[in-house]
Amino acid sequence: MIPVENQLSLMLITLMKGVTYRDDDPALWQSLLGLQARVYDHVAVLGLELVLDEAEGYAYLRQRLTNAETTNGVADHELPRLVPRRQLGFGVSLLLALLRKKLTESDVKSGESRLIISREEIVELLRLFVPDSTNEARTIDRLDSHIAQAAELGFLRALHGSSDQYEVRRILKAFVDAQWLHSFDERLAEYRTRADARD
Amino acid sequence: MADQTLDYHTLATLRREHPAWRLLAADHAPLIVSVLNRHFVQPNVRTFAREDLIGRVDDDLFHLRDQLGADAFPRSAAQYLDEWAADDKGWLRKYYVPGTDDPHYDITPATEKVIDWLTQLQIRHFVGTESRVLTVFELLRQMTQGTEHNPDARVADLERRKVEIESQITRIRDGQLLLMEPTQVKERFLQMAATARSILSDFRDVEQNFRDLDRTVRERIATSDEARGVLLDAIFNDRDQIENSDQGRSFRAFWDFLMSAGRQEELSSLLRAVMALEAVQSLSPDPRLMRIHFDWLEAGEVAQRTVARLSQQLRRYLDDQTILENRRILQLIRQVEQGALAIREGFPNGPPMEIDEPAPAVNLPFERPLFARAFKIGLSDAPVLLGSEDISAQALFEQIYVDKNRLAGNVRRGLQTRDQVSLVEILHEYPLEQGLAELVAYLSLAAEDRNAVIDDEHAQTIAWSDEVGTSRRATLPLVIFLRATISS
Repeated sequence: MIPVENQLSLMLITLMKGVTYRDDDPALWQSLLGLQARVYDHVAVLGLELVLDEAEGYAYLRQRLTNAETTNGVADHELPRLVPRRQLGFGVSLLLALLRKKLTESDVKSGESRLIISREEIVELLRLFVPDSTNEARTIDRLDSHIAQAAELGFLRALHGSSDQYEVRRILKAFVDAQWLHSFDERLAEYRTRADARD
Repeated sequence: MADQTLDYHTLATLRREHPAWRLLAADHAPLIVSVLNRHFVQPNVRTFAREDLIGRVDDDLFHLRDQLGADAFPRSAAQYLDEWAADDKGWLRKYYVPGTDDPHYDITPATEKVIDWLTQLQIRHFVGTESRVLTVFELLRQMTQGTEHNPDARVADLERRKVEIESQITRIRDGQLLLMEPTQVKERFLQMAATARSILSDFRDVEQNFRDLDRTVRERIATSDEARGVLLDAIFNDRDQIENSDQGRSFRAFWDFLMSAGRQEELSSLLRAVMALEAVQSLSPDPRLMRIHFDWLEAGEVAQRTVARLSQQLRRYLDDQTILENRRILQLIRQVEQGALAIREGFPNGPPMEIDEPAPAVNLPFERPLFARAFKIGLSDAPVLLGSEDISAQALFEQIYVDKNRLAGNVRRGLQTRDQVSLVEILHEYPLEQGLAELVAYLSLAAEDRNAVIDDEHAQTIAWSDEVGTSRRATLPLVIFLRATISS
């Protein structure tokens, strides 16, 4: 067991470096469950918020919504952001939405399996949206870069010992949620109207 | 019972689609069945990591190719495993477990059925009828009595049995001890063995049923068009869908029975007693039957963990929030898909999005390790030749050099004051310095010396500690050295 004095420090440092999964380190997870409240208070000082999903088995830090963002009107003292916001191209965004669908669909079949997907299957997912082009190679390259970006964000993880198998990590559910998808949907609608208006 | 039709079309489909029939009809059936039986069924193993299983199957293929020729079964173990786990075969189940990226395999219930059936084909025993007809009667009685509402009828039946038992007791007291005939014993044993084995081989089926139940409930939720209130009522009236199904109840009753105090010991002693009976011995029973209840425990535990895990996850899935959220998510994604398809120019054009990273930006440039040149193993291409030098191997035998002259000197000095001295006494004065080798050298001295006697009838024990401090003891025949007499 981790010595009690170091537990809080270890928790905070681990969370500052990325997502904590129960399956990766059950002992650490147990500590975190016990120290939740203290971690929460500690990171609040930095304008961060601890998100802990016991059912799904992951925990991470996100930018705390300041009063200015939650209520319209009164602009409260806003803290600078610590959590960066990444820009995603359309391709990656679409890929993330489709992976989210896959995750939900696999939950329909069974609650216990990890979602492992091969590179070919990912290509198949996107195929519907890729117009038949003469430059097949460029499409594949582009898809590869999307996969790489999704992996960088922590949503896909390449399996050890295999060059084309990936695990879709459940943390995707926390980031590609209803709000994000709704926003995506709205932007697509906007984009279409502008495209239509142009012609 | 009504859904088992054997008309032509059903059978034609079954042969194509049921993995068990497909396995029987497969070209490589002897290979597949022998391999899977050997690794899964015989040792009662429920799961294998891929790398582990590949290694074992590779071994099997190697031995078979030895006997059948190098081009028998030309593919690799990994390829065979992938084929047997594919959807169109269905003989192995491939799955991922938390904590490792190595997939795991288990045989499917269909494969187990085939292995069981083929085992039965070879069993040559007489067909017992008496014990089985008695079992039928007993089960019928249990069912009627168990569902009898009328208390008087129940009491009447119990009274009847009491009378029977009392008359049995009287007869025994009078000296009429009725023993079972060997045939009756054998018959019952065969029935017990068959039932016990089939319980064991049914566990995978039980687990699969649990998984199917889980899936059915989840699918119902996902595809249901029912108004929210109706659906939720139907499901939530029973949150424990899996555990309260027929399969769930029956399994739990079995498990509770097996786990109740004293049951294991009772089964152990009953099995021991039965296996010792002469009539049973004459059937040359499989000695594994003695521990069948432990096999049940192992297999049952796996099933038990599966059902617990599935139930817990299902309860979470049935959570109000989860159901609604999943529906909304799917609906939104459908809209996104339609939107993406409708964009005139198509992929890769389209609106960008933003997303937060999963942690604050912590820059750690010095955490990256410095470049280290990859270690290159230099492999020499020189051919390996058979050495042909004639070097004396004597050096190998001289690792411990015992100076026999020194030992002879010890013996001589021991004989200065006495006419005869035993080896033990010599070692008291001159303890062993080189352990067993020195002891053997003394023995060889004694064997060569005309004036020494080795008496096999008596034994001596000599103890010493070797160079690392371990104490050692040797028992050897009595060795006595005698002073050389003038006239010998």
